[in-house]
Amino acid sequence: MDSLVVSNLRQRPLRSAISILGVALGVALVMIFTGLAHGMSEDLQKRSSNVTAEIIFTRPGSLSLTSSSANLSTKYVELLKQIDGVESVSPVIRYFYQSGAWGVDQVEGVDWDSFSRMNGIRLVQGHPPNAPDEIVIDETKAARNHPVGSTLKVFGPNLYRVAGIYAPESGARAKMSLKALQDALESPEKCTFIYVKVKNPTDQVAVAKRIDQAYPGNKIQFTREVFASIESSIPGLNIFMRVLVGLAAIVSALVVMLAMHTTITERTREIGILKAMGASRAYIISEIEREALLISFLGLIVGFVLAWIAGFGIHKATGLIFQFGGWWALTAALIGLLGGALGALYPATRAANLDPVTALAYE
Amino acid sequence: MSTILKAENLEKVYRVGRVDVPALRGVSLAVQEGEFVAVMGPSGCGKSTMLHLLGGLLTPTKGRIVIDGEDLTAASDAQRTDIRRRKIGFVFQRFNLFPTLTAEGNLRLAERIHGNGADEPDRRREILRMLRLQDKIHHKPLELSGGEQQRVALARAVVNRPAIVLADEPTGNLDSENSEIVLKMFRELNDRFNQTIIMITHNPEAAAACQRVIQMRDGHIV
Repeated sequence: MDSLVVSNLRQRPLRSAISILGVALGVALVMIFTGLAHGMSEDLQKRSSNVTAEIIFTRPGSLSLTSSSANLSTKYVELLKQIDGVESVSPVIRYFYQSGAWGVDQVEGVDWDSFSRMNGIRLVQGHPPNAPDEIVIDETKAARNHPVGSTLKVFGPNLYRVAGIYAPESGARAKMSLKALQDALESPEKCTFIYVKVKNPTDQVAVAKRIDQAYPGNKIQFTREVFASIESSIPGLNIFMRVLVGLAAIVSALVVMLAMHTTITERTREIGILKAMGASRAYIISEIEREALLISFLGLIVGFVLAWIAGFGIHKATGLIFQFGGWWALTAALIGLLGGALGALYPATRAANLDPVTALAYE
Repeated sequence: MSTILKAENLEKVYRVGRVDVPALRGVSLAVQEGEFVAVMGPSGCGKSTMLHLLGGLLTPTKGRIVIDGEDLTAASDAQRTDIRRRKIGFVFQRFNLFPTLTAEGNLRLAERIHGNGADEPDRRREILRMLRLQDKIHHKPLELSGGEQQRVALARAVVNRPAIVLADEPTGNLDSENSEIVLKMFRELNDRFNQTIIMITHNPEAAAACQRVIQMRDGHIV
């Protein structure tokens, strides 16, 4: 083995492995968190894009990304149908609930006939939710071992029977009848929002204006705006990502710095030999930087593999969706490599400045 | 023969705490090209300090050193490193091979540091053959005997054709049999390649193999 860099790594396999793992953890953290955030928002956006209604009619504060309340009277259903330009309407209750240890999930109460007709949703198996204990689920949820006829715990202590499987996926993955959810939430004659489909989509602004004039004090949103960028609508998500990326960079740099600092202390005598052989400061720094970059590169590969395995495992266990983006992979790669290079710079400079005679005498 | 190394009135004072400790007190010497010189003297007489000064590892407090026409004492730290890289080969008592590299890897590292860009397998092979190491090139230092390690160190020191080889007690860690082999190699290098060698030794038999012996005492050449 002629390469000092590679042979040094092989000489101390445990320390090399720990250093590589340290870098890998930083890279994997970036990939897992950004992959999860991106995957979940993409999934929400994809499901939302299958809603063909142009307008959402709701009460101020009754609907956000992770919370909702059923405080809109269903009397508006008939009233909205009277507005000029409205083709159809469909009331929905969206309810968020604690889902195991992994966060929140959602279920929707819908008037199946109007909802499926408006949004082009069809049942691929089974029948619509009719009884209070019946739900329909989309194909993604069904694929997680929930066939028609099986029971499912959605919220509360009751079990719900899967009555049908629908496609394409749209909104919450589980839907029950509006009446059943109203009863379960003790909110009779209430819903969270009403989807409004207009006769001519180019008139949606005019129709929205007419609705606002007829029923002021309510909230009217266009679905194209609500679902345009769910990722950017989550408060602080981008800041969180950047902080995470910064922390990963610091972790990588510290791990490599510690590893190279220890290495250089151990190899003081060898650095003295290099100096006696006429190695310049630049040569010594470059040797140490090359070693750090090799550690970082290997950490990068291991980090990507770890992130992929973690994403796959978490998806299998919880259904959470990961989407690893090229941009974030590139960011993670740069962080790993730059963190390693910068972390090694101080020990490398220190080594290059060692006095050769003192270094040669080092025991 | 031309003078390849000239040292004039070298002084070196170490500062230990608040005390000045003189190690060399005005040493002058000239070494001709192709000369094999032994430096002898009791411990603490300044032999190693002189060798480190001649090799540019230390700077003198006073005096001048010229190696192959280049003034070492007028050079900056980077320039001294460059002179050392081009003109000097070191052999140490403790061999100082890189333990993670094979014998050949140690030689190639020296070539890379020298940076002449030329991979000279013929030269490397010739030296390894002369030092009877051709069967050991893929061995790491820990797989070699002390004598073999020192021969690899010697090969590493001469592989880039330095103007001078500076050897600091090269047989100090060897038994008499291996000492004899290593000394024979030094003589052969000197004879065959006209290699200039300055060797510190405590061993009178080793000194007897040299063309000239310099005796030192208390920081002086006597």
